[in-house]
Amino acid sequence: MSISKLTSPDDLLRLKEQLVKERDNGRTILSVCGGTGCLACGCKGVVSALKAALKESRLEEEVELKITGCPGFCERGPLVVVYPEGIFYQKVKPADAKLIVDQTIKGGHVVNKLIYKDPLTKQGIIHEKDIPFYRKQMRLLLGMNNFLDPTSIHDFIVLGGYRSMAKALSAMTAEAIVEEIKKSGLRGRGGGGFLTGKKWASCRKSKGDPKYVICNADEGDPGAFMDRALLEGNPHLVIEGMVIGAYAIGCEEGFVYVRNEYPLAVKNLMIAIDQARDYGLLGKNILGTGFDFDLQVSRGGGAFVCGESTALMASLEGKIGEPRAKYIHTVDAGLWEKPSTLNNVETWANVPLIIDKGANWYSQIGTAGSKGTKIFALTGKVNNTGLVEVPMGITLREILYDIGGGVPGKKAFKAVQTGGPSGGTLIVETSEPDIHESLVAHGDVREDEEALNLLDLPVDFDELTKAGSMMGSGGMIVMDQDSCMVDVARYFINFLQEESCGKCIPCREGLRTMLQILNRICEGKGEMKDIDTLEEMSQVMIDTSLCQLGGSAPNPVLSTLRYFRQEYLAHIVDKRCPAGTCKELVSHTIDETCTGCHVCLEPCPTDAITGKLKELHVIDQSKCIQCGACYQVCRFDSIQRVKRGAGEAVQVKAKALWKPPQKKTAQQTAAVA
Amino acid sequence: MPKINIVIDGHSLQAEEGTYILQAAKEVGIEIPTLCYYPHMVPYAACRICAVEARNERGWTKVVTACNYPVWEGLHVHTNTPRVLNARRMNLELLLSQSKPVPVLQKLADDLGITEPRWGYGTDTCIKCGLCVRICDEVVGAHALAFGNRGVDREITTPFHLESEDCILCGACARYCPTGHIKMTDIEGRILHSELLLGPNAAITIPFRQAVPNVPRIHTNQCIHMKTGGCMLCAKVCPKECIHFDDQDEFEEFDVGAVIVATGFQDFDPTPMLQFGYGKYPNVISAIEFEQMNSAGSPTGGKIVMENGKEPRSIAILHCIGSRDQNYHKYCSRVCCMYALKFAHLVTEKTSAEIYQLYIDMRSFGKGYEEFYQRILDEGVHVIRGKGAEVVPTKHKRADEGDLLVRCEDTLISKFREIPVDMVILCTALEARKDASDIARKLNISMGADGWFIEAHPKLAPVSTTTDGVFLAGVCQGAKDIPDTVAQAGAAAAQAMKLMSKGEIMMDAAYAVIREEFCSGCKICNDLCPYTAISYDELKKISTVNSALCKACGTCVAACPSGAIVARHFTDEQIYAQIEGILA
Ligand SMILES: Cc1cc2nc3c(=O)[nH]c(=O)nc-3n(C[C@H](O)[C@H](O)[C@H](O)COP(=O)(O)OP(=O)(O)OC[C@H]3O[C@@H](n4cnc5c(N)ncnc54)[C@H](O)[C@@H]3O)c2cc1C
Ligand SMILES: Cc1cc2nc3c(=O)[nH]c(=O)nc-3n(C[C@H](O)[C@H](O)[C@H](O)COP(=O)(O)O)c2cc1C
Ligand code: SF4
Ligand code: SF4
Ligand code: SF4
Ligand code: SF4
Ligand code: FES
Ligand code: FES
Repeated sequence: MSISKLTSPDDLLRLKEQLVKERDNGRTILSVCGGTGCLACGCKGVVSALKAALKESRLEEEVELKITGCPGFCERGPLVVVYPEGIFYQKVKPADAKLIVDQTIKGGHVVNKLIYKDPLTKQGIIHEKDIPFYRKQMRLLLGMNNFLDPTSIHDFIVLGGYRSMAKALSAMTAEAIVEEIKKSGLRGRGGGGFLTGKKWASCRKSKGDPKYVICNADEGDPGAFMDRALLEGNPHLVIEGMVIGAYAIGCEEGFVYVRNEYPLAVKNLMIAIDQARDYGLLGKNILGTGFDFDLQVSRGGGAFVCGESTALMASLEGKIGEPRAKYIHTVDAGLWEKPSTLNNVETWANVPLIIDKGANWYSQIGTAGSKGTKIFALTGKVNNTGLVEVPMGITLREILYDIGGGVPGKKAFKAVQTGGPSGGTLIVETSEPDIHESLVAHGDVREDEEALNLLDLPVDFDELTKAGSMMGSGGMIVMDQDSCMVDVARYFINFLQEESCGKCIPCREGLRTMLQILNRICEGKGEMKDIDTLEEMSQVMIDTSLCQLGGSAPNPVLSTLRYFRQEYLAHIVDKRCPAGTCKELVSHTIDETCTGCHVCLEPCPTDAITGKLKELHVIDQSKCIQCGACYQVCRFDSIQRVKRGAGEAVQVKAKALWKPPQKKTAQQTAAVA
Repeated sequence: MPKINIVIDGHSLQAEEGTYILQAAKEVGIEIPTLCYYPHMVPYAACRICAVEARNERGWTKVVTACNYPVWEGLHVHTNTPRVLNARRMNLELLLSQSKPVPVLQKLADDLGITEPRWGYGTDTCIKCGLCVRICDEVVGAHALAFGNRGVDREITTPFHLESEDCILCGACARYCPTGHIKMTDIEGRILHSELLLGPNAAITIPFRQAVPNVPRIHTNQCIHMKTGGCMLCAKVCPKECIHFDDQDEFEEFDVGAVIVATGFQDFDPTPMLQFGYGKYPNVISAIEFEQMNSAGSPTGGKIVMENGKEPRSIAILHCIGSRDQNYHKYCSRVCCMYALKFAHLVTEKTSAEIYQLYIDMRSFGKGYEEFYQRILDEGVHVIRGKGAEVVPTKHKRADEGDLLVRCEDTLISKFREIPVDMVILCTALEARKDASDIARKLNISMGADGWFIEAHPKLAPVSTTTDGVFLAGVCQGAKDIPDTVAQAGAAAAQAMKLMSKGEIMMDAAYAVIREEFCSGCKICNDLCPYTAISYDELKKISTVNSALCKACGTCVAACPSGAIVARHFTDEQIYAQIEGILA
């Protein structure tokens, strides 16, 4: 079909109907994820293998091979889904291509070895919709990714793409759109959670001219990749949202600021913009409505601070990406001192949904203060990691257990960190007496209150903030008993001090000093007054930092101090690391449960472990560098991380108690299996 | 500008919309410490030392930076709460942990009561205030400096760490760096002066102390603004908005009723009189050069020195150079004798040099002048009657003698004399300005053979000219000294005021009129009029007569080929009628 510009909303409708008719042929679709995660796992090979297999079977015409964006379950990639049945294959290798074509497409059977097995129930699950990871999600945005080739504007139009834009531009006034967004209760997904409708209204009211809309796709939080998944997988949705926003605010020029580390996102976005221009969905006189709007893509250098609104605008202007003091809001004086509306990728992507289905529909999803869905990047010690899109107000328990599938192994759940590097670490269960004591001491829990169970905390902007963390851009890191909370705080403070732009003193020097103090505590050189200093310094940083990087940087310290004060005290007073990860404070040692399996010998970088096969192994304390490699590999939990210096004693005791393994216990057999 | 009501530390005040807390506080005498603020740059708000607490009536409170927080109606500011003092202290201590206790930081630490910073002192001298970068960017416009690296590694550098070609060596960065981190010691003679306006190297100076008008002037080749389009600091500090960078010389036209010509004289150039070695020997100078050197604003600061910077041991002052000279000016310049004596007096006051005056006649004719002459004689000046004939280098020089040999005939003792001196001053003639004839032509006044303008009558009309309303004052009319000039100028002014006070002039009823309908625009009459009363009207393409200037001489009437000009009261008809009357 030749491209001719769509010059009216009806043209768009006609094109859609025509496309739907053309495609309504019951064809089998093989949908292969081509997102960055699956690319890394070799999905390109899978695609070519599938192509070859289809060709061999002369099925190229009957079966459509679609390379899509990321649906979120990257951990199981490369993913292949067979539609219309929705058969879900995971960890597919090129060699499996022929199997899929022969058995599933030609034979109508499921390839058992490729289906997903629930780690909890050990049950195999055939259909995509039944997978627990997806089942509890509400995939308003990500759900489209499976059905879209991001480089095909037709795919998007078939799914109803640009329908909202046509409606907005032809049947709604700008004011009505702003009202609708206000009514929907949509809040910015970039971290601050500012009401999007309110932001648009202020920018619309602002006197300056011209005005700009900007999409923040800098996504600097380590571990977060929802913006990437959206831009890579469904760039037209973001474009559509931006056109609607631009029309509502009254501007003709927009920018997408993408980090340079997202080459696929940039590529797909550029393709999408060109297509939209060719179809008259961007540029002059969009859909014949007389509205002009065009988009430019700008690539950011990838500094974390460039995601901050004023730094981003400075960077767009070609200056150093450094925040500027903004007592005058960017909606009044932003890019080139002109009124500018900056929204996150996910925020923009929500806009077409709201316009299409209405604010009433949208505002029914979520909680009183937070509406709609939010995409989280679930990582850390959970069985299922990946992108999860859930309705606001879902509990942590549902995310962690129902979707995440719980903590792997026999380890105990300890905490969850949300909000990216400057978010907070939340204790989830207070069953541990240490933690309970700490919370009581800090006034977070009354003594008679049994336990604080944040597992049932509804996840939304306000609740997270109240609990001492934040929504941020949606990072969610799960930690088990092996995570030392002082070390966690230190990790994030280190990240932030490396990313601080260095302009203002509290952030630049405050983070540097905080890191020094935390390093000291982790090395067992902490003093009691360090805790006071950390708290005092945090307050000054919150009060006086120029931008929110510095302003929220103390969060990791404050939240761990709030929920895990006891752990700080253990480091400072007892010179002990309860989680056993602070090298200077632990000794690795082997107890009497050692089976003499030799597994720990190989990973030890200093050859500190000795022992004959099937005899008690011993760690030479003078050689051990506390790297923990042995701890990671031992399947019998025989390696103990004890207080520094207590290693010898454990060893002596082990020598006395150790018996050669006669017969494997049932438990050990299971563990080995 | 609408006024905004705010309260700072209990003082209620009104501030203009758009002012920042810092300025508003200053107005009520409350000083808030700053490290990165400078009035003429966009607030950078990096040091956070100016933290204050902002509140509203409903109890909302926030710590903000005073240097860039704009005031709003009902704002309450507290500059000294424990919260802000704590923040200032902590931030300064954090800064000190990296910095040497340079004076600005030490003073701030003293003010905040920090005796021993918790984390000690560091070794850096740059406090990352960004003043240098911003002055170079925003004020100078050279963009030669930048911050490099992120976070704790932030440093001040040139782009790509290379010697910057954009730097115009103005020194502004070094001048505004509060810590002395940036120095420009290696760049000679390019230090900016702290008072911004007046230093020999500043681009805007008052050229010399007695300059008229006594106002600063921009040296376009040194001005940063002329180089980069930036800076304009002088304009920003000038409270009266007097600085205009795009000012150019302009031609203006005035309608006036009287003109006083006081164009003075020029100095006679003695170079052609080779015998005096002017221009050849550096220590032979003209009188005006001596005056310049003697002035307090001169490069020598008013000291009398030779070219090598040493004080002369002996000076000869040669009168009548170019005056009373058959080859140059026959007239006497009238002022040289007296100023030569004045020079002698000045030199004796400032140095211990021997002075020789070589004169033809000593003309000390004015009131008190003869007495001054006597005084000079008493001061031990050697006064020799005889014109200096020649200045040559000393041949067989003795250590205690000058380099120059002045030869003359001492007519009182009828002896030829050779006087060795270190310096020779030539009392050059006053002569008419080169452009005097232009003035004479333009104003239609007469000029004598020696170039001085001629008055209407030496006794009865000494300041008037042959053109009504044009008067003479000062040397342009003939050599004279200042008292005479002033007296004559007073007279000329009185004459002009006589005209002005009336506001109108009586004109002769007889003057020429050009009848527009007959004038062909040939312009023959324009140049003929001895009183320059006729001009050509480019619009109408005809000639017109200025009736105020016309003396009704009738030259033009007779010359006009078209017969377009008539003299009022002397029309052909009137003359015929008169002839008829006589004949009748
Ligand atoms: C070396 C020296 C030392 C002297 N010392 C003394 C002394 O001690 N005491 C004393 O009484 N007298 C002294 N005189 C004499 C004194 O300088 C003059 O009497 C005096 O300067 C005359 O003033 P004036 O206004 O007529 O002319 P000037 O001082 O020459 O002033 C004329 C002004 O008119 C300006 N001008 C010229 N043409 C034009 C034009 N077309 N349009 C506008 N402006 C124009 C010139 O730039 C100048 O500023 C000395 C003279 C000399 C040379
Ligand atoms: C240090 C810092 C980094 C940020 N990084 C991002 C980012 O990567 N992506 C993003 O959308 N917003 C980021 N933000 C938030 C933006 O400043 C801004 O609030 C947001 O883009 C506004 O869009 P929203 O209202 O749609 O959330 C960051 C903020 C700070 C302080
Ligand atoms: S808070 Fe940190 S990142 Fe933000 S301006 Fe200050 S130094 Fe830069
Ligand atoms: S902790 Fe590391 S160095 Fe120590 S015994 Fe284990 S593997 Fe070896
Ligand atoms: S001397 Fe002037 S031009 Fe050069 S870096 Fe400094 S401020 Fe900029
Ligand atoms: S060099 Fe001086 S002016 Fe420049 S940032 Fe450092 S302290 Fe400030
Ligand atoms: S990239 Fe394939 S599932 Fe995320
Ligand atoms: S003076 Fe206000 S932040 Fe530096």
